[in-house]
Amino acid sequence: MTAALATRPLETRKAEAASVWQSHGVPHRRIEEWKYSDLKAALGEKGIGAVFAEWQVQSLPAGVEMFDLSLLNPPANVPEWVKAHFAANTGNVMGAASLALSAGGIAFRVPKDAAISVPLKLDFTGPGHVRGLLVLEEGASLTLVEGVGSTSFRNVGLEIVLNPRASLEHVRISPQAGDSVLVEEAFVRVAAGASYRGHFASFGSKLSRMELQIALEGEGAQAHLSGVSVLDDRAHSDVTSHVIHRHGNTNSTQLFKHVVGGRGQAVYQGKVTVAKGANGSDSSQTAKALLLGEAAEADLKPELEIFADDVKCAHGAAVGDLDAESLFYMRARGIPEAEARGLLLQAFLEDAVAEIAATDQRELVRTELLTALKGIA
Amino acid sequence: MSIAEETREQVAQIGEKYKYGFVTDIEMERAPKGLSEDTVRYISAKKGEPEWMLEWRLGAFRRWQAMKEPKWARVHYPQIDYQNAYYYAAPKNTPKKQSLDEVDPKLLETYKKLGIPLHEQMALAGVAVDAVFDSVSVATTFKEKLNEAGVIFCPISEAIRDYPELVQKYLGSVVPVTDNFFATLNAAVFSDGTFVYVPKGVRCPMELSTYFRINASETGQFERTLIIADEDSYVSYLEGCTAPKRDENQLHAAVVELVALDHAEIKYSTVQNWYPGDENGVGGIYNFVTKRGDCRGKKSKISWTQVETGSAITWKYPSCILRGDDSVGEFYSIAIANHFQQADTGTKMIHLGANTKSRIISKGISAGKAQNTYRGLVSVYGKAKNARNYTQCDSLLIGPECGAHTVPYIESRNKTARIEHEATTSKIAEDQLFYCLARGIPQDEAVSLIVNGFCKEVLQQLPMEFAVEAQKLVGISLEGSVG
Amino acid sequence: MLEIRDLHVAVDGKEILKGLSLNIHAGQVHAIMGPNGSGKSTLSYVLAGRAGYDITEGSILYNGEDLGALAPEERAAKGVFLAMQYPVEIPGVTTMTFLKTALNAQRRHRGEADIDAVGVLKLVRAKAKTLNVSEEMLKRALNVGFSGGEKKRLEILQMALFEPKLAILDETDSGLDIDALRLVAEGVNALRDPSRAMLVITHYQRLLDYIVPDRIHVLAKGRIVAEGGKELALELEAKGYEHIVGQAA
Repeated sequence: MTAALATRPLETRKAEAASVWQSHGVPHRRIEEWKYSDLKAALGEKGIGAVFAEWQVQSLPAGVEMFDLSLLNPPANVPEWVKAHFAANTGNVMGAASLALSAGGIAFRVPKDAAISVPLKLDFTGPGHVRGLLVLEEGASLTLVEGVGSTSFRNVGLEIVLNPRASLEHVRISPQAGDSVLVEEAFVRVAAGASYRGHFASFGSKLSRMELQIALEGEGAQAHLSGVSVLDDRAHSDVTSHVIHRHGNTNSTQLFKHVVGGRGQAVYQGKVTVAKGANGSDSSQTAKALLLGEAAEADLKPELEIFADDVKCAHGAAVGDLDAESLFYMRARGIPEAEARGLLLQAFLEDAVAEIAATDQRELVRTELLTALKGIA
Repeated sequence: MSIAEETREQVAQIGEKYKYGFVTDIEMERAPKGLSEDTVRYISAKKGEPEWMLEWRLGAFRRWQAMKEPKWARVHYPQIDYQNAYYYAAPKNTPKKQSLDEVDPKLLETYKKLGIPLHEQMALAGVAVDAVFDSVSVATTFKEKLNEAGVIFCPISEAIRDYPELVQKYLGSVVPVTDNFFATLNAAVFSDGTFVYVPKGVRCPMELSTYFRINASETGQFERTLIIADEDSYVSYLEGCTAPKRDENQLHAAVVELVALDHAEIKYSTVQNWYPGDENGVGGIYNFVTKRGDCRGKKSKISWTQVETGSAITWKYPSCILRGDDSVGEFYSIAIANHFQQADTGTKMIHLGANTKSRIISKGISAGKAQNTYRGLVSVYGKAKNARNYTQCDSLLIGPECGAHTVPYIESRNKTARIEHEATTSKIAEDQLFYCLARGIPQDEAVSLIVNGFCKEVLQQLPMEFAVEAQKLVGISLEGSVG
Repeated sequence: MLEIRDLHVAVDGKEILKGLSLNIHAGQVHAIMGPNGSGKSTLSYVLAGRAGYDITEGSILYNGEDLGALAPEERAAKGVFLAMQYPVEIPGVTTMTFLKTALNAQRRHRGEADIDAVGVLKLVRAKAKTLNVSEEMLKRALNVGFSGGEKKRLEILQMALFEPKLAILDETDSGLDIDALRLVAEGVNALRDPSRAMLVITHYQRLLDYIVPDRIHVLAKGRIVAEGGKELALELEAKGYEHIVGQAA
């Protein structure tokens, strides 16, 4: 998927992306990975456009470097770390679109062994395409809190590079966004001993798709993904992940919970690849959905692609309704039905929320969930 | 002795290469090479089919010409040249046999080698056999016994002539002519297969089984099977097949349609060991099969049990359409891929009616350089109240060069449905293997023992006769895989 | 307080209770004993209002009110408490949260003011001590990872907290050893009160050594076939159910 790009000039990367984009066009439901999320239909006649979206950082934490990606010319001004890592991946269709059709974006770097205690709050706003790059040097650690603004259509291409022993917690909360069509692809590379924790709380929109491509490239690399979605009315939310264990003795876990009311649609496509020779890899995935609405829909596809034998890989998926036994127990103790349902829905989502290490963010997600659940029940 | 017992014995003698690598030297009658409308007419004429059947075939052929071969499965094979094959081969002295004495002795010898003794002893064992030699059914025994019960069990070519209303009513109703590329091809050039009709209230008095093999080189097998279980009836059908050693890949594009009406049950079991290609990946059968069961009636049930150890390439998804309220669909499968085999198999359970249930137990074993993919779909439609599904999908990897892949699609559009899916992938535990070795059990046997334990749940579903044969097959197909 | 008249109950279309009648007054402890399959759990579930347990004939009057017409949470608020045989595990909901939510829900229904978190904690702590329910258990998810004895003790803790008027104990002794049994029995006995009625459902006689009943009813095949004082329990112990049921038939 990736290669050291220090040698390829930016124009080449952009050109590659443009060509990939042109040969594929906007994904639609006849493309296997997009069968549950028809982007072409959601965009309608307006299509994909070539407007440039914005990024915003309220206050940059001390110790974090920043570089504006709209300043890539002249190349002499571009720091080495941007040259080395920006636009590494041009194969993914929407990723290629964001690269070919954006005017810039923002890049951050945390230097070696820097442990940044204040979270970096990054918001993407406005319609169009935009890019982001985050590089953590060896031993660095950071919490990234990503905000997702409503808009007609936005496509974000985010690249994250975690050098050995670096650790990142990424929390992305995507609020209810009505008619918005929001697409994001995150390409994450995790080196030996490094750790990526990503939590994706989504309240849906007309079409909301979060793609994650995570490569575990060195001994002891880890990825822990979790997410919750509470969808009502016609809200749609899709998390499509691909975790590749390129190296042995790597570990990945995924836990996604969905509560779908009204005519909402929750989609989870989680693919785990264990490359040949990546012995000692361990991976687990759990995806569960509760349907509350008469026309609610859940589509779960946890996929395993295993080429090494000395591994432990498992996954589980379930769709259902609230447990009748638990509901009765609560009511028999005096808790009215609506309240009991609410409590059980919260309980259902709790273990996925508990995966968020950063306390403030965890509480924030809990609060948002409570509000959304009240709306549904 | 029953068929399975004899076969089992032969299989037990295997320590050498693929047993069935021989060719019967009988004069064959073939259609000219290639595939055109004339080929279709030739086949239809040879079978003495009525006009409506020819029209059906021609319709299918024309549609096929406009279709493209599907490329989405996880299997790779050299482009098939559809014009470079024969689509009909029958031994020259064909017409209907009233008794076994009339059958070509060389053919009977073939059957003996395959372990299918067509003689009265089999009647005692109570297994009826419809032995298909290449494209034509040779002798259908025990028709009388089944006739007494009212069960129709005959080659489909016969059914087209003798029971046209039944065939017209049900043929193509479960797998429509244009369902997929290979099914359409089958609809155009199918030469024979089995037809079963079990009348209302009848519990079929014996296990029904069919053995068939591909003989003439470059002849693809296009079998078409249609089984109808009328209200309140029960039938258990066993399908087992072998094929001789060949260097050219041979295409096997069969279609199996099952229809279960109210309160009826069909149990369809398969033990498949088509020639898988040699240790270098040369030759082997391409098994591109469409199998589907329609639980049309209330409280109807269809269960698929299969042990697949052969074929160079397998592409099949025996499926159930759970249409009738309270209907049940089951899928139990062991799929073994070794050496250079590739398999992309699984099932589809489509929940349409209310209170429907489905159960999927899939055990995949990969060894050598093989690639084994489970692809399953559990789909609950909007009106499928209280649908229930349980899926357990386990993969065992033997060796560092093979691959095991699981691609489950879980789609629910009804809030009262409950779907549960679990999958694991692992290898044979070192300590289990060591334990066996330390107790004096040689490597291959130890692997066989452990793998049989892994597959136990599926093996338990097979009718007795098959279960033993299947166990042996599992062991044999994994010979030499560890170490 | 509780008047059951010729009650017929069907579960999944099958009739389990076939004409059961029973009267319990405040201050009394009644025991229901019976062989497996007699309908004991069905009785407890229909009193608590579980879905799927349908009253096909007869009635249940609770303080003169038709109990069958009330939803489970309404019955709880009006003082009906069922200590379940198999308390369910609810991951994600801590025990403390559950207790507080239930207590306040019941109070709200009765028009009483909520008790705040601190207040609830105080109340719970006081009762938890005697029942050997640890602080740690209160922080864990409800019943998750609890042993059989811990689950039963938590049921009794809830009974102490909610102060019901009618307490139904469904096979509270099942799965408990002597020590656990004694502890649970002590907890139950401590709640005896002239204003409270208890219905103890059990298969074995030994629980009744500790919770001595005023009256024993023998349930078999959906009907009460024998009644008596506490000596009836000893008779059953000595002669078995078949004898008594046979005599009554």
